Amino acid sequence: MTRWRYFARRLVLSIPILIFGTTATFWIIRAGPIDPAAAIIGPDGDQQAYQRIRDQLGLDEPLWQQYIDYMVGMFTGDFGQSWVLNPDTSTIVLLQQYAPRTMWLGFWSVLIALFIGIPLGFYAGLNPNSWSDYVASFGGIVWRAMPNFWLAVILVSLLSQSQQLFGFSWQEWIVNVNVVTAPPLDNLGDPQELLRAIKWTLPAAIVLGSSSMGNEMRIGRTAVLETKNSNYVEAAKARGIPGRSLVWKHVFRNALVPLVPIITGEAFLLIGGSVLVETVFAINGLGYLFFDATINGDLPLVGTLMFVFILLIVIINIVQDLMYTLIDPRVGYEGGDS
Amino acid sequence: MATTVETTFRERLTRQPGPATKWLGVLLVLVALQFGAVMQTIMSTVPWGTIGGALPATAPWAALAGVGDALADLPTLLARDVIPNQGYQVPGEGWQGTFMGLSPAAAWGIRVSLVYLYSFGFVGWLGYGYLVFRRHYRAADWTPYDDMLGRLDGHRWGQFGLVVVLMFIVMALFAPTLGPTTVQSNIAEPFSHELQYFDENAGEVTTILVGEANLQSVSKGGGGRNVGPMQYDRYDRFHPFGTLPSGKDLFTFMVAGARVSLFIGLLYISLAAGLAVVLALVTAYYKGLADLTVVIAGDSVQALPQLLVLILLSFVLSDTWIAGIYNGGLLLALIFAITGWPYLWRAVRGPALQVSNEEWIDAAKSFGQRPVTTMRKHMLPYVVGYLLIYASLSLGGAIIGVAGLSFLGLGVNPPTPEWGRAVSAGQPYVATASWHISLIPGIMVVIIVTAFNALGDGIRDAVDPQSEAGSNEVAAGGGGA
Amino acid sequence: MSAEAPLLAVENLRTEFYTDKETVRAVDDVNFRIERGETLGIVGESGSGKSVTARSIMGLVESPGNVLPESSIRLDGEELTEKSESEYRGIRGSEVTMVFQDPLTSLNPVYTVGNQLKETLRLHRDLDGQTLTDTAIGLLEDVGIPDAARRISEYPHEFSGGMQQRAVIALALACDPELLICDEPTTALDVTIQAQILELLAEIQVERDIGIMFITHDMGVIAEVADRVAVMYAGEIVESAPVRSLYSDPAHPYTNGLLDSIPGNQPGGRELTTIEGEVPIPNGAATHCRFAPRCPKAFEECYELAPEPLPTTAGKDDHTAACLLFPEDMKREDAVDEHRAANTEGTDE
Repeated sequence: MTRWRYFARRLVLSIPILIFGTTATFWIIRAGPIDPAAAIIGPDGDQQAYQRIRDQLGLDEPLWQQYIDYMVGMFTGDFGQSWVLNPDTSTIVLLQQYAPRTMWLGFWSVLIALFIGIPLGFYAGLNPNSWSDYVASFGGIVWRAMPNFWLAVILVSLLSQSQQLFGFSWQEWIVNVNVVTAPPLDNLGDPQELLRAIKWTLPAAIVLGSSSMGNEMRIGRTAVLETKNSNYVEAAKARGIPGRSLVWKHVFRNALVPLVPIITGEAFLLIGGSVLVETVFAINGLGYLFFDATINGDLPLVGTLMFVFILLIVIINIVQDLMYTLIDPRVGYEGGDS
Repeated sequence: MATTVETTFRERLTRQPGPATKWLGVLLVLVALQFGAVMQTIMSTVPWGTIGGALPATAPWAALAGVGDALADLPTLLARDVIPNQGYQVPGEGWQGTFMGLSPAAAWGIRVSLVYLYSFGFVGWLGYGYLVFRRHYRAADWTPYDDMLGRLDGHRWGQFGLVVVLMFIVMALFAPTLGPTTVQSNIAEPFSHELQYFDENAGEVTTILVGEANLQSVSKGGGGRNVGPMQYDRYDRFHPFGTLPSGKDLFTFMVAGARVSLFIGLLYISLAAGLAVVLALVTAYYKGLADLTVVIAGDSVQALPQLLVLILLSFVLSDTWIAGIYNGGLLLALIFAITGWPYLWRAVRGPALQVSNEEWIDAAKSFGQRPVTTMRKHMLPYVVGYLLIYASLSLGGAIIGVAGLSFLGLGVNPPTPEWGRAVSAGQPYVATASWHISLIPGIMVVIIVTAFNALGDGIRDAVDPQSEAGSNEVAAGGGGA
Repeated sequence: MSAEAPLLAVENLRTEFYTDKETVRAVDDVNFRIERGETLGIVGESGSGKSVTARSIMGLVESPGNVLPESSIRLDGEELTEKSESEYRGIRGSEVTMVFQDPLTSLNPVYTVGNQLKETLRLHRDLDGQTLTDTAIGLLEDVGIPDAARRISEYPHEFSGGMQQRAVIALALACDPELLICDEPTTALDVTIQAQILELLAEIQVERDIGIMFITHDMGVIAEVADRVAVMYAGEIVESAPVRSLYSDPAHPYTNGLLDSIPGNQPGGRELTTIEGEVPIPNGAATHCRFAPRCPKAFEECYELAPEPLPTTAGKDDHTAACLLFPEDMKREDAVDEHRAANTEGTDE
């Protein structure tokens, strides 16, 4: 079947992409002007210790040798150890420590964006030029234009001082939580703890999902509007297909097609946005770890994180192609290589 | 009237010189305004200039002065010296040193209004010129561009975008004129500049270093330590947007930041768009392996999380020579371009492929037209409109991205003003009396990014009324900043 | 004229569209009827109001469009213009359905042909299970799709253009309608495929004894399919006649123009001609002949008086033309008076 061949082709194409991304990361961090030995040893290390560290890390080997070692390491799962932040700790261990908080945050931001953005967009598309449409459209446009970091700053301040500002304490509402710092995630089985963790994450998740939500709303609206006015919907009407079936069967599935890249595109925004949002909300997740590792010159950690992020994006791209393949039978039919 | 005889532009001009003369007349008026202002600038004493000129220029500032002055030289027509807004109030005698003895707020307001009036007059003149050309001198009665402009005519949303974007560009171009004070004297080297104010205790006009005055006009929450929007500080200085926690003027900071953002954004877009168009045309023309190679290259670059690469590269390269040029602005624009071209390329690839399948391209090939000529003459005009759409969307994204980086302390080197740094500086004071520090820059970003998006929508509806929002918009949002 | 009500009777149909700047009267006082087993061809240039007439009958005219209240559309004697949207939905599909111009875009791309066929069958014939599938396959076979059992699970884009239009016709037949409206169903197809589809429609009509309203701009196609022809211009029917009579004895200058613009159709060595100008966009009721500015035979009164559809010659009631030159057996002044009289009568109603 053509569309599964298309999918297979996309799968094969993801291999050079992964290799290229990893290579690019290597050249940025290793071939750049950063001297990892100097970063490890700090400003007052002596020359001998400096040289010892260079030998130890193999920094005096030819660059291509280092490159091959690095690539082999990455693709065989040998990610190396942290040099600066947590010396002698495997980067994998650090990843395991920091990842759950980011995943929890990402999960909720995707969920919020999906379950608010798409229904609002579809609703606006079904009722175009009504007041609710204008409110939803305009809201989506503005919401999407807000920088994450700014929204985070404003939200943190408002929520932390909600008692003084609005006479309503966000921290004490329903369950007692902090506005900043990460929620404890080790006891999610307990309903009370689960609720706490959700409420704790909610503000950061809303910020992180903000632009995706705006995008989904907007694209959802135009997609529904376009599908609604398409010939096949008119033809279905001419066959007497009832309204409910028109909307749910004929309009929505087609309207989902342009939403696929928006939904998977959230991943890009999440990975990038997590650095800023986690910094403002003081959540020690992967984004925060990446920033910390970068400004401290902890190259193996940066390399590992980049590799994981690239891998994630490649996987999400594959999921996107899979979704396309499932939703839209035309995929791969006409050239279909975009 | 359709004329069958081919005439040159010159012939059409000599046949009917009236409208063109009128148009040039308007230009003369505009230049005369400028000329008077320039003359006055030369004649009058230039306090900021002479003081600034006497100072040894530090390395990054020399660079800024180089690029910045080149930009600023042209628009000094409404020089700040013509309508000075800095003065002091002596009891019973009113304002001294300000324009016509007006209050600094009024003088500043007049200057800002004049700058905008002049700018919009200039834009109007350009538009009028196009209409004159179209009505009287263009060989063709009709071109597809007429229809595009016609569609933009009723497009309120796009027009809103255009007006706000123009205002932003004017803000960036005229930054030195618009601020109630200058970057040099208030932000970069406050301890090398001085100002006069009326000291009530001493009962006389006193001179103080700007830096000292700044320390007394900080915005750090309440308790007398706040200078909010549209307020005067105790040295009779007017602050349209209030002051920063350091006591520096936020409005001056913002307009200077606008110039930095716009410079980075435009440079990024020109580089990325140039690359994107060339690649799209070449791959659409040759297809096959060329196309596949660029697809893989583009996908690979897109697989790198843009914001993280920006963070990584700005940090890695922060101590190199390239980071010194335009205070890191050039470096940022380059990184943006390297990581951002695939988004623009994807946007124009579709239209380029579409046009490459048209029969006239085959026809051009078959009678042996050179590929470069075919691409330039037959494919490029079709693609440019689509490029503009995404260029507009990406510019908004770049502004967010640059602000996000400077919020983290990366990218544009301090003390060069950048909006993200203002948000960062105001972070502790959001819920206090000094709310303006974080809020105003953020709202400005929202308005300008919305305007760029609106302009993009407008161009889209003008270029291709059938199409609707594309998927590339995700990435146009600054990679999650 | 039989005493029984005709399958479709359209009277005084007026449909308007409202834009920011103006009101466009896309259909202006259109009258015609279609009997069972009969094909009415509606012909005209684009913008003449053919498709809006069809959509008005289907109840598919949506805001900012509006079928004016004086209009009457009776299907099997039942007045449709007074139906609510939900009542109309019961009529669409089961009694009247429509085949659109572009077969690919009138099929939902993300569902198989079988899925859409079964959906329609389930709705109108209350079938399920194996019977449903068998009926669907049977319908595809009926419209001449080979290997129907396999193709039923294919997607629209996997069909060729001609096969797509056959599938669309199968979908229409699944409704088991009394009246089938075909809006340029062959325009997007190759000439050979076009002939096959026309043949198919003719067969279906004989088998099922349904009325067909066939819209096209192609005079050649009309000659093949129609029993009677209505020529539309700027929202009005300017000439109406049995197909033979129209071709042998065209009356209205516009019809003549249309016939002369068919290549190879110039009787007596007349040249292939074109009609200069474009169809005007009517904004309200006609005050004069809308074709007059393009008409080679226009005279003074044509710009002052709106012609009414009158018999082309006295007693020839089935061939009418809205032109001041007719009835042709009258003197011109008398004919003009006749139209003027019909005109006032029309306004009094």
